[in-house]
Amino acid sequence: MTARETPLSEGVSGRVRVVPNRNTTGLVALLIAMWYAGASQNNGAAYLLCFVVASVALVSLLHSHANLRGLRVSCGPIAPVLAGESHRVRIGAIAASGRRHAAIRVKARGRGESVAFSEISGPRIEHDDLAIAAPARGRFETLKLMASSLYPLGFFSARMALEIRQTRWVYPALEGSRPLPRKFTPARHHGVGVRTEGDDFAGSRAYVAGESQRHIDWKAAARDRGLTIKQWAGEADETLQLGWQDTAGLAHEARLSQLARWIVTAERGGHGYSLEVPGTVIPADRGDAHFHACLRVLALYPGESAT
Amino acid sequence: MSWWRGRHSTLAAGPLTAVCIALALAAIPLLDHIAPWAVAMFAVAILLRLLVSHRHLRLPSVPVKIALLAIGLGGIALSYGGFFGIEPGLGILLILLSLKLLESNTVRDFQVLVLFGWFLCLCGLFFSQDLTRWLYVGAIALLLAAALIRLHDTSHAGTFLRSVGISGKLIAQALPVVLLLFLFFPRGGGAFRPQFSRSVNGVTGMSDQLSPGNFAALTRSENRAFRADFPDGNVPPLSQLYWRGAVLWRGEGLIWARGGASMPVENTSGKLAGPGIRQSIIMDPHGSRWIFALDRPAIIARDTDFQAGGFLQSFRPTIAPLRYTVTSRLENREPGLMQEHRKAALEKPQLISAQVQDLVASWRANAADDRAVIDAALTFFRKENFVYSITPSTYGADPLTEFLFHRRIGFCEHYAAAFATLMRIAGIPARIVIGYHGGEFNRLGNYVLVRQLDAHAWAEVHLKGEGWVRIDPTNVIAPDRISSGSESFLESRAFGENPIGETSTGAAGLREMLREARLAWDNVKYQWDLRVVNYDEDEQRTVFNVVGIGAFTPPVIVLWIAISMMLIFGILGAWLGRTRRERIDPLVRDYRKFCGTLASAGVVREPSEGAHTFAERAAARHPEHARAIRDAAELYIAARYRQQGKAGTSFRKAVRQLPRIRPM
Repeated sequence: MTARETPLSEGVSGRVRVVPNRNTTGLVALLIAMWYAGASQNNGAAYLLCFVVASVALVSLLHSHANLRGLRVSCGPIAPVLAGESHRVRIGAIAASGRRHAAIRVKARGRGESVAFSEISGPRIEHDDLAIAAPARGRFETLKLMASSLYPLGFFSARMALEIRQTRWVYPALEGSRPLPRKFTPARHHGVGVRTEGDDFAGSRAYVAGESQRHIDWKAAARDRGLTIKQWAGEADETLQLGWQDTAGLAHEARLSQLARWIVTAERGGHGYSLEVPGTVIPADRGDAHFHACLRVLALYPGESAT
Repeated sequence: MSWWRGRHSTLAAGPLTAVCIALALAAIPLLDHIAPWAVAMFAVAILLRLLVSHRHLRLPSVPVKIALLAIGLGGIALSYGGFFGIEPGLGILLILLSLKLLESNTVRDFQVLVLFGWFLCLCGLFFSQDLTRWLYVGAIALLLAAALIRLHDTSHAGTFLRSVGISGKLIAQALPVVLLLFLFFPRGGGAFRPQFSRSVNGVTGMSDQLSPGNFAALTRSENRAFRADFPDGNVPPLSQLYWRGAVLWRGEGLIWARGGASMPVENTSGKLAGPGIRQSIIMDPHGSRWIFALDRPAIIARDTDFQAGGFLQSFRPTIAPLRYTVTSRLENREPGLMQEHRKAALEKPQLISAQVQDLVASWRANAADDRAVIDAALTFFRKENFVYSITPSTYGADPLTEFLFHRRIGFCEHYAAAFATLMRIAGIPARIVIGYHGGEFNRLGNYVLVRQLDAHAWAEVHLKGEGWVRIDPTNVIAPDRISSGSESFLESRAFGENPIGETSTGAAGLREMLREARLAWDNVKYQWDLRVVNYDEDEQRTVFNVVGIGAFTPPVIVLWIAISMMLIFGILGAWLGRTRRERIDPLVRDYRKFCGTLASAGVVREPSEGAHTFAERAAARHPEHARAIRDAAELYIAARYRQQGKAGTSFRKAVRQLPRIRPM
């Protein structure tokens, strides 16, 4: 386990379902052929072999059911991403059954890539990173996954739906080419205006996928603290006012994307900034918490049809 | 990647190698039945596929595969003159399998290969349903399943043997359902049953021609002819077991043939006497229409009829093990003789040398009746130096004269043929019966095993007022042959020729043990043939009646099978899917018991309390048991923290001996 390991969210496992797959067709065809050969020759030995193969296939169905039953899947905290990107979710799997689970695949429901666990047994948790597409902005409370396996004979697929309560944020995509609105208000107190370049080190915050990598604190990354951005306090004592009305003329989602881009640009530029959208006002500030609070407001902003 | 370039192999090498080996083994029983070039193609495909996998070469491209398919199918059409029938079918199967091997590159392809393999296993059973053969193909089926498990178990934990073990476990768990399906799944149907046209190759057996050397060749074959069970328990002595196969009417010296095809069949009903002996016979396939029954069959088996001479023939060639029941009566009272039969039984050979003519004439001159002529002939065989041998070598242009006056070495067929011919020359109606004599009684299974080496020929002569009488000239030359059976007779002869002589009791004992083992194994195989191979519609009906479901229609039975299967699978599934409890350390269990005993004495251990503190507190509360409590705690500490294994056992003992302490 690495130092970054944080408590995992347990998944709620659904029922295990064993379903036929493309290989089942071949099996059924074979069994019919074997049975026919036995019957046409009145061949007792052939009948017996046919029944052995059929029974073993049926028993393998039970094994594939048992292979998923009692498997517990969990996931770690999920870092926010921008719409259109993918979460990297740390998936953990453990054999709560006390049995051995072989050749398990876990993927998000629907299409997408999967992670494979070749063996899950004993008290050890197996880990792997799964990419989960985040097509739309918003806050999502549950992660819907699907565990599946072809083990042992491959003639049936076992599937188990998993639901993990784990909040994940998807911020609006960074789009829009409008310049930062040049509206400043004096900072209420010195040092709120923040830039990534400056004289005094003013702390660091988590890197958000999509930002420029120029300001990543690589030394910290090497010390396994994750990707962080160093921030420097500068002389600027004025804050930017980012408002819904500044994006007038753009489509609904485009306005949110423009605001998001401005927020990222302002944060990176070391400016303090305030956000004002209909219904919500976030006073000017800077830093990690403020940055994310602003983007969360945009992520949760009602869609066009709702306004 | 363009379509005309083959791809690299992506299948895991381990499972692929296993499946290739299994496929090659599965094809071995079929080799005699498939054109050699197709076998060669298959072998090359296996080697090529393994090479591609291990050397990281490319698989053949689409055009190459199409060309190979065309060549393969064309070859089959040329070799067999068509695509229909079992042998061309096998050839096509092998060629398609070869091509599939060469294109296999995905998990799905692999599954298909295994399905092919299982079908090849089944094809092996077309030609033999023997237990040995079944065990062989069953083992390959298991190997194929293991290859699948190996493929899907991506962890590749353990050796391949582990996968074999898992597939063995799968088969073991499947056994109840196998039994259920085998016993109850409705058999037969009949209407959809096309008879495969095929030949039974490589089976040594009777021929319906008797010529010198024929039978002697059979005696070298240990192959089984049939096994006969006597359901009523009345087994005649082995020397009385003359298994009637066929009657030969046309004789020419030492060479005899069937003839008699156009002759009317005599009516034997009511003319046979003696107790009826019922035989239940399982006959190995021989590809012709022989039906063997004790001399002489009285009540015929199903799908058979009588032939002129009072022997049975089946309607169809026997290409699979055949089970039939027949009743015989050992005494024959058939005084009359049909005109056609008399004519045929008196037909003299075309070539009769003067020597032979004189010999018979001398017998006839000195004899009062036919019986006396027969005795004279038998005396001739006994008095003159006739030798019984399985290696009589070949005879020349007039074999009869040569045999009777010069060489005088022969096997049963020589004696029977010579005797019957002499009788005909003397004007006594005679014919030859071929079949088997004796057999080996298996005490374990209560049946008689008759092998090819028991093949025998004897003569029948027709006497006025008595009817056809069996005369076995071999009995006169080599009485041992008749009383002890061919094998032991030949054996004793063989050892007799050995100057050193294996007379030591050790060797004899070992031989006896081997014989016993062989009989035991044959009994197992017999039970297999009886209960598995011959389990058909009729047998199934008997079982249904015993179980009490005889009146059910097949759909209802299938429904019941499904219900029973769900029940079995419900239990098995629950067991497989169970949550396995952690195995509790016995020391922990004993310590819990220790704490429990003290708790019932009013001293409850605090969660933070160590064994020592807890024991001290308990000892203080119960000073009369202080010593026992302290000792037990000391033992626990020794076992737990000083890694003293023996202390654990002592601790358990101490806990058990701790008296019930009343709370104060």
